[in-house]
Amino acid sequence: MATTVNVKLSRSNRIYRSSEPVEGKIVINSPNSISHQGIRLSVNGSVNLQVRGGSAGVIESFYGVIKPIQIVKKTIQVGSSGKVSSGTTEIPFSVNLKEDGEGIVEKFYETFHGTNISIQYLLTADIPRGYLYKPLSATIEFIIESGRVDLPERPLPPEMVIFYITQDTQRHPLLPEIKTGGFRVTGKIATQCSLQDPLSGELTVEASSVPITSIEIHLLRVESIIVGERIATETSLIQSTQIADGDVCRNMTIPIYVLLPRLLMCPSVFAGPFSVEFKVCITISFKSSLAKAQPKSDPTAPRLWMALERLPLELVRTKRDQFSCC
Amino acid sequence: MEFEFRRRDYGAEHESRLLPRSRAHKHPLSSALDSRQPQARTVRGSDLDFFDPLRGLDVNASEEENVEEPSLSMEAVTQDLIKEWKSLKRILVQRFPVSKVISFSPISSIIMKGSKGMVLFCFAHSTVENPSTLSHLDEAGSEQTSLEETAKIINQQDYLAKVHELRDGITCAWQAEDRVTSLKLSIKVTKLLMDTTVLQFYPTVFVIVTDMLDMLGDMVWERIKEKAEHDVDGTVICTLLNDFQASDICLEARETCYNWFCKVGSVRELLPRIYLELAILPCWRFLINQPVEVLDRLVMMVRGLADPLASLYCRLYMVHRMQKLGFYNSGYLIKCIKDIEDVLAPVIVDTDGFSYITDDKKLLFSLMEPPIEYILKCLLLTGRQENIVEGILEELGFGRNKSYSSTNSSHASILLHHLLKELPSELVSSKAMEILHMIKCSNDCSFSQILNYRLLGNRLYEGKSQAGVLSSLIDEVIQAASQYHTLYDYLRIMDAYVDLLLQNKMENHLDALLDDIVTLARDKFLSEEEQASLQSIILKLLSYFEDLQEVLSLNHFIEILDLMSGASKRSVNMHLLNMGTRNGCICDPATVQLLFEVSQTLYDATDFVNIKDDDNRQTAHLISRFVEMVDYGAEMERHLMFLAECREAFNGIHELKETLVRSSNTLAVKALKSGKKHIHFVKSCLAFSEVTIPSISTPTKHLNLYLETAEVALLGGLISHSDGLVRSAVECLENVAPTDGLKSIDADSMASVVCKLCSFLVMVPGNPEKGVMEILKSIFSATCSSSWYVSPKDYTNLDAHIEAMPRLKVKIFCAIVLLSSTLSQDNLPYRSANPEIIGNDMLFFGDASYKNELVSCSQLVLQELVNAIEQESSQIARGNMALEACNCISSALIVPFFYESESLTTLLETSGNSKRMFG
Repeated sequence: MATTVNVKLSRSNRIYRSSEPVEGKIVINSPNSISHQGIRLSVNGSVNLQVRGGSAGVIESFYGVIKPIQIVKKTIQVGSSGKVSSGTTEIPFSVNLKEDGEGIVEKFYETFHGTNISIQYLLTADIPRGYLYKPLSATIEFIIESGRVDLPERPLPPEMVIFYITQDTQRHPLLPEIKTGGFRVTGKIATQCSLQDPLSGELTVEASSVPITSIEIHLLRVESIIVGERIATETSLIQSTQIADGDVCRNMTIPIYVLLPRLLMCPSVFAGPFSVEFKVCITISFKSSLAKAQPKSDPTAPRLWMALERLPLELVRTKRDQFSCC
Repeated sequence: MEFEFRRRDYGAEHESRLLPRSRAHKHPLSSALDSRQPQARTVRGSDLDFFDPLRGLDVNASEEENVEEPSLSMEAVTQDLIKEWKSLKRILVQRFPVSKVISFSPISSIIMKGSKGMVLFCFAHSTVENPSTLSHLDEAGSEQTSLEETAKIINQQDYLAKVHELRDGITCAWQAEDRVTSLKLSIKVTKLLMDTTVLQFYPTVFVIVTDMLDMLGDMVWERIKEKAEHDVDGTVICTLLNDFQASDICLEARETCYNWFCKVGSVRELLPRIYLELAILPCWRFLINQPVEVLDRLVMMVRGLADPLASLYCRLYMVHRMQKLGFYNSGYLIKCIKDIEDVLAPVIVDTDGFSYITDDKKLLFSLMEPPIEYILKCLLLTGRQENIVEGILEELGFGRNKSYSSTNSSHASILLHHLLKELPSELVSSKAMEILHMIKCSNDCSFSQILNYRLLGNRLYEGKSQAGVLSSLIDEVIQAASQYHTLYDYLRIMDAYVDLLLQNKMENHLDALLDDIVTLARDKFLSEEEQASLQSIILKLLSYFEDLQEVLSLNHFIEILDLMSGASKRSVNMHLLNMGTRNGCICDPATVQLLFEVSQTLYDATDFVNIKDDDNRQTAHLISRFVEMVDYGAEMERHLMFLAECREAFNGIHELKETLVRSSNTLAVKALKSGKKHIHFVKSCLAFSEVTIPSISTPTKHLNLYLETAEVALLGGLISHSDGLVRSAVECLENVAPTDGLKSIDADSMASVVCKLCSFLVMVPGNPEKGVMEILKSIFSATCSSSWYVSPKDYTNLDAHIEAMPRLKVKIFCAIVLLSSTLSQDNLPYRSANPEIIGNDMLFFGDASYKNELVSCSQLVLQELVNAIEQESSQIARGNMALEACNCISSALIVPFFYESESLTTLLETSGNSKRMFG
């Protein structure tokens, strides 16, 4: 049996506030005692930016990976050089992310995994054992949530926007029967939403001459990176949620209720070199023979048989109350 | 050399054979009654926890029940609902069986591994059975194949097997701690419910899928509970009570629980997302104490399902899971019902505004019925438990005041029907008027309005209604019913109200009803359905009234009777006859006339000659009973005429002829009793009987009836008539030829009739001209010569056949010997009740030749008696017969002890042998 090293965090969900110390233990499993030159633990938080083809254009694609932005990088000594006896050894640790007296916590962006932007915090344990032995190491990702003291309380004051979707609000061409027959879907949806809460709202089909086949709510992320003189922006789909299946009753209120997926979403960020924003897209699909023939692709792309409404969505981190789980 | 008859003292013999009698202290029946009374009282006095349904309702007891009933305990309701759910699942599978369905489904292909494109599954046999669906399949198939690849056909059972396989996969994955796979498979299975292309198949799929979901929900619940109670290391954190709070749950467990909801919430499609959340719905209790918002949202979310069938079944599952969560109230159910109503509206009324029923719609509504019924049942149960049934009605817009209700207050009649079905009967009675108006307003294709009217009638009959309200209500119902114009609809509606009319003694309405029926049915030929409804109404009338007179006095009743024909008429007629003969004599000539006509129609409609079944027998019996019950009182001539009419009219009923003879004999006796002046009438009665008897088929009955008539004749002093009848009887005996073998002759009854004849002959004065012994001799010769058969059913048993013959003869011969002995006495044991008839003892007193003749006759008989016994093959039977003969001889004759005839010795030996054998 080889010697293994693991980093175990004190919280099973691995979520920590930036103001909180990250605690846990380094677990070493070894069949025989080993000597080492000290046990080190390093924290590395960074924003990784990447510009791919598409919206960035040809020139920018040369840049490829842009230099990551460092958020935090520090190393602490957990144990001085010595010996670890055989069997299981646990070495507890506690790391403060921010320096003492450091007031700025804004730089601790929340963990986010997007297509072009990824904000990640890693904890690495290193045990160098001299030149003769391979050093032992283990890495684990932990999740950072905003640790600001001035976070708003739940529930957030409702900031709803009322929307109307009709044949006239559409900026893309529609099938003639939809255009002439007309339709009207109204509703309201939150434009500001706590990450702990579901995105909520409601929607009513008031009229539609062509039968509706489906109404969906799409969550979109808009990642923008400043590349030189330009801003490379890419919008991508996070999650689709159907809220109406088939030609629903007219004038019946249908709830909009979308649980926000963790990690894939974070509070909207406007940092200097990059920004992460979110949008909601409501799509209404009408019955059409064209729809069947069309191969599946981006569900938010404008089509002849679809009506769309895009609305901005500001995501906010709220104070964790006693019983909330997320 | 000769015998002598033994002198007998019949009186003394009778005395000596009597068993000693003593008075009983108590009447056995009266004493039982006395002792039972206190016993019953003690039973009632002690606190027994069972309720005997047969015991009469105590006033107190019923009151207590009333107090308890409205507020049902929560637990009882839950228990009830669990049972309801189980039976619902059974009903769904049974009512909509899978085997006969052809189905076709693109969505189901999701689950068919390796089957590219679309999946067609059909049941092999049904293709032949159901050509119409086959064409539908072809059509649908061709349309699809043009777009997609080749079709694949899968048997329904294979389909179900696949689903079961998937379900097993879910459990396996779960046990292997691979919960993600478990959930993924569950989502796949749940997606099956998105497919409603095969309507018939939907309930079955629903039951299978929801079973799977319930299972998944239980597994998730258990897992989170385990996490809440035990640490990772297995140390106990806490033990959750049944009514735990969300705050009792550790963060770890809550995290896991919320994670489940997030996973389920990320399912893109609406229907599986709802179903899966419903499956794990009880787990909300780990997170929040009052999941009001969750339930509100779920109720709303289902609205997104546009397919009426899918949404209805989804609501059904929601109601079921809410019960499991244990936190729900009638509010959610009311919302559900309201939404259902909205969903139904476009199905009921087409876009063009027409509401017509098609086969597809009919099927759809029949599939929707169980969920609607279940949800309404739950609503009313919950409502009663919360004690807010009236509030519920108002919430739903039912039972609102007339002034309140707007013009479009119509409700889907299918909802109305099931609501009405579940409402407590007191409420139905108190809101009867409102309900009626609602029924009036809701006339759509989802459910028959007529059936709703009917249901109201039936429900009202269950409860107590105020006469005033009822009167105007029924006025309106009659009005509504007559708007249907067709008699059938009218009858179907009113049929349900007849009991109500009768119960509340609303004669005016009843008259109006009967008037209407007559008006509507005038000059029409009633269809079979109309007949059946009319029959139901008439039978209700008949069973309500005690006496036929009361029914007949109803307006138009006879006219309505005349409307009927066929099987319904028959049934009504049978009831009429039954009712007429129920209460003793029928004296009213009009009633007699009616019943006679009724009988005649019944008779004409039945083939009594060729077909013999139970039904015919019952009819024959009823008619005979009617004839028997008729009583014209003093108008005896009229009565006899009636009998003659009956004979003519009901020629084919054998049973009746016997009744006729008996009635005519009774009539004769009645005439005799009332005085001498009726002697001619008596003669005509006798003549009637004499003429009627030969047409009866059974010889034993002939004998009996001849004998009976002869007795009556003798009573009337009509000796020659009597003689003639006796002679006919004897002829009968002779004529029982082997060819009559088909008509069964029961040897024993035959013997007893002959014995009876012999005892009758004691009273009949001998005819000096034709010889005193003439009749005796003819009985004797008839017995000797006859080769009677036993009943044909005994043919199979040859022994019985052989045995019965000699036994019969022996009995008859003994009777003759005894009769001769009696006739030889100086004093006859009994004589005719008519003092004018002089017995043989007086007629031939001291006449030696008379006695000699008797002796010589006996001698002849004795010889034959011995012969007959010897014919018997079975030794035991022979011994018994010999014993009987000896007994007879010893009591009738004095045999000089020095004289032992050969025959007697044989007899004694035979009997002795058999005795020994027995010993």
